[in-house]
Amino acid sequence: MSKKPTARRPKPTTQEAEAVVHALRTHQVDAIVGERHVSFVRLKQVETELESSRDQLRILAARLESQRESERTEVAREIHDELGQSLTSLQLGLAWLTYTVTLTPPVRARLASMSALVRTTIRAVKEVAVRLRPGVLDELGLVKTLRSEAKAFTEHTGVQCRFETNLRNVACHRAGSLAVFRIVQAALTNVARHAQASRAVIGLMKRQNDLVVTVKDNGRGIAKTLVAKPGACGVIGMRERALTLDGTLALAGSRGKGTTLTVRIPLSRVLITRGAAPTS
Amino acid sequence: MTSASPMAVSMSRRPSSPVPHAGRRPIYSFRLFVAGNEPNSMAARHNLTQLCEKHLKGRHRIDIVDVFESATAALKHHVLVTPTLIVLKPKLGVTLLGNLSETRQVLATLRLNGNGR
Repeated sequence: MSKKPTARRPKPTTQEAEAVVHALRTHQVDAIVGERHVSFVRLKQVETELESSRDQLRILAARLESQRESERTEVAREIHDELGQSLTSLQLGLAWLTYTVTLTPPVRARLASMSALVRTTIRAVKEVAVRLRPGVLDELGLVKTLRSEAKAFTEHTGVQCRFETNLRNVACHRAGSLAVFRIVQAALTNVARHAQASRAVIGLMKRQNDLVVTVKDNGRGIAKTLVAKPGACGVIGMRERALTLDGTLALAGSRGKGTTLTVRIPLSRVLITRGAAPTS
Repeated sequence: MTSASPMAVSMSRRPSSPVPHAGRRPIYSFRLFVAGNEPNSMAARHNLTQLCEKHLKGRHRIDIVDVFESATAALKHHVLVTPTLIVLKPKLGVTLLGNLSETRQVLATLRLNGNGR
């Protein structure tokens, strides 16, 4: 890529310099001829264009995610208000029948069974609504929500899930805490679906100027080929969420030794006030 | 001619003068500095050849200099970037930078627009 010219040349005039700048700006230049070597400029141009494309994609992804959250909120509200209300009315109707009408034992037993089924359905509907739109995130904040998520994960999957943090009394930006919550949610889904783990740990730690979110499991470990595969296990979605907060995401694992997902986000993008006292 | 969007850039090192006639149509002599087969260099080569075929048929000479092969020649001609086209004859005192995709501007700079020369 280089030859070594020896002659020196006079400084370019303003007009010449402007012409060169124009040619560079309009991407009409392949190489710059220096006194000691010739340098390609195409690589730099391609890098600039690539970075610009990435930025546009990130903006698009963030916009799509925001729309998706709005839709989720809407669906959750519909499910909770409409379906939940109807099921509650149905349950009340069944209770009224049980206590006001004289029933034969088989009918009473059938009613009790129906009532139990309705109760189960109401619980399922509430869980779906919460999963779609975690109201607890707005009410209780990120720390308590993740603690609650760990508990719920253990109950639903049988995988012992623990939550660890060194944060206390922190207020979070809504978008930041929602992104962290969704990343953890997606990571736990991967644990339940693929890891074959018996234990999992969610970590939310303040490390210098970063918030470090980890989800570790003791499962079979993600294959190296999958770690390198960008589309695997919803990694793109999680990474995009991290990127919208100027963060990074790393996935590491080895066969039989579990998998660790680490997300590192600048504190200022998530927390409004800070506190760091060891709790677990 | 290749239709890359950015326009050609020209600059003058010496005061420009009218194209000399001497009763005959002038012969144009160009020296085009390129960087191997890089895209703009390829485009400049192609565009210059097409332009000469169309407007200077039989009265042009093109000397291609690859700066990777002959960087000293580039420095000698004060070439800062590639592609650079230097018009050696007639003495227009004109240098064009870029891939020469803006035909009208290139023709105007070479005084080849309008009068059929």
